[in-house]
Amino acid sequence: MSSAGIVFRKEIREILRDRRTLIAIGLAALATPIVLFVISQVSTKTASATYTAGYSGSLPAGLDVLFNATGLKLVPVDDPATAAKHQVDIGLVFTGSRVDEYYDPTRQSAQLADVRFQTVLSKYDGAKIAASLQQHGVDPSVLDPLPVSVHPLSSPTVAAGNSFLSFFLPYILITMCLTGGLSAALDTSAGERERKTLESLLLTPAPRNQILVGKIVAVTVISLAAALAAIASMLIALTQIRFGGAGGAFPVQLSADAGVVMVWLAILLAASFSSVTVALGTLARNFRQGQAYATPLYFITIFPASIVLFIPDFNPNLAYYLIPILNAVLVLRDAIVHGAVNWGALSVTSISLVVTGALSFYAALKLFTREALLVRS
Amino acid sequence: MTQTIPTKPVVSWGPLGAAVAVDHLEKQLGSNKVLRGISFQAHSGEIFGLLGPNGAGKTTTLRLICTLLAPDAGAVEVLGFDTRTAAQEVRRRVGVVTAEIGVYPRLTARENITYFAELTGLLDGQLSKNVDAVIDRLDMGSFATQRAESLSSGQKQKVAIARAIVHDPPVLMFDEPTSNLDVLASREVREFMIESRARGKCVIFSTHVLHDAERLCDRITIIHEGRVVASGATTDVRGKFLDLEDSFLSLVDAP
Repeated sequence: MSSAGIVFRKEIREILRDRRTLIAIGLAALATPIVLFVISQVSTKTASATYTAGYSGSLPAGLDVLFNATGLKLVPVDDPATAAKHQVDIGLVFTGSRVDEYYDPTRQSAQLADVRFQTVLSKYDGAKIAASLQQHGVDPSVLDPLPVSVHPLSSPTVAAGNSFLSFFLPYILITMCLTGGLSAALDTSAGERERKTLESLLLTPAPRNQILVGKIVAVTVISLAAALAAIASMLIALTQIRFGGAGGAFPVQLSADAGVVMVWLAILLAASFSSVTVALGTLARNFRQGQAYATPLYFITIFPASIVLFIPDFNPNLAYYLIPILNAVLVLRDAIVHGAVNWGALSVTSISLVVTGALSFYAALKLFTREALLVRS
Repeated sequence: MTQTIPTKPVVSWGPLGAAVAVDHLEKQLGSNKVLRGISFQAHSGEIFGLLGPNGAGKTTTLRLICTLLAPDAGAVEVLGFDTRTAAQEVRRRVGVVTAEIGVYPRLTARENITYFAELTGLLDGQLSKNVDAVIDRLDMGSFATQRAESLSSGQKQKVAIARAIVHDPPVLMFDEPTSNLDVLASREVREFMIESRARGKCVIFSTHVLHDAERLCDRITIIHEGRVVASGATTDVRGKFLDLEDSFLSLVDAP
């Protein structure tokens, strides 16, 4: 067996006996389902909740039925403006010809109650106008001069599911490729120095580049395992958890192409991140210092991962696919949303990530072979 | 990677057949000139003492011998192999025990030793044979399957020695090996050095504990501020003084 293989086997054995890494992988697998479960509970509660509308004055005939049907409970109060601050969600003052609404926009329940009230008013106005037109012998359809029939070419619920996945999946993939193996990376680099084993290791005839390869491949495997465990648990959770208002389980359709692209990108990202984190760990005197060095990486990775959330229709030219991490997010988003692979973008992305990984490995090797590595310790 | 150790050295053995020949060695670390032309020779079948106060350059000298550092000037040969041009061959022939007992805590004692045996290039049959032999020789059988994190300092030091000698190197270097050990464990290390000398090994013992050096070493070199201030048989260096400590203090001009 080569020196790299010997180091790899030993590192994997040690990592699998390290509680920190096992907990990190376990949390990676559990965190997403838990978050999704909480979101589903909150969304279900929000959708089924009844909000209170405090009112004064005379309620127009029939309006109370619409309030009840829309999940707004009418409560008579003396001063609706004051009551809307805390006592009820919105305050309504009905006068003969108009209604004054009071609500506090800083309260989420007030915002939701306002939306429902606008729905009630829209229905009420529509019904009153239609009745009035009929009284005067006019066909109410005159209010809808250009009726539209919508024929979606794909399932809107599936599209909504894909849209959700196109943000969430790259985000989890990238953050887990980084954080899933971070503890292992620091343990195998900064940990060697902290445990005082580095000198003995470098005293062996094993070439240092092979020692480094063994360590980086071991960390890559752990990162990859953490990322894929997190994504698998997320996909399983999405088929099981019901979201309020969706009328059933969330439709998850990850195409085979998207799955292959995801695994390929995960390998490239995990290898690149592993090289970077091992290099940073090599710079550090101990595990804690390594964590401090690695902290900025969170921000560097999370920002591109979030861009799809903030700019959902971001369709850049091919040059943007040279930017590491951002390119992986965009390729994966396109594969999920469209169910097809843009081979040009994937090629540029792959080259970019391979070059990034190679440069990171070169940096790690330079750090690992310098004399200061021992002298500093 | 497994490599065959050449039966003949790539260059001639050092002067006078020395196992380790250090010739006018110079080394600067940062702005500090640590070594200023150190020369000495250590032979097979002897314990050679490298003495000096803290910061004298003992550890740097050992690191240069075992190729962890490269010299700025001068040369080191180990069994005829130049450390600059045949670093891997040198590492195959050297075993180093340091003061810092670093072991992999989540591996057992046996796994720690096996890992280093594999990296040294021992093949399967020879590997297990050597690992078993070294465990037996250092009386480690009772804790060989325990994780290193649960071992005592003395037991960890045995693991450190075992991994350094598992490939049966002809040159052994001990850098302050007893500084973190209790009396019993220290004695075991000293006995091991004596036993290694009897087996024909070249043992280089770096220490500032002069009492240990006086008891163990056949020859010594005293380094002070990066220079050799005395070298020769232990009795010769002690000379007219009552013990080595007095001799040492006079050589380094201590009050």
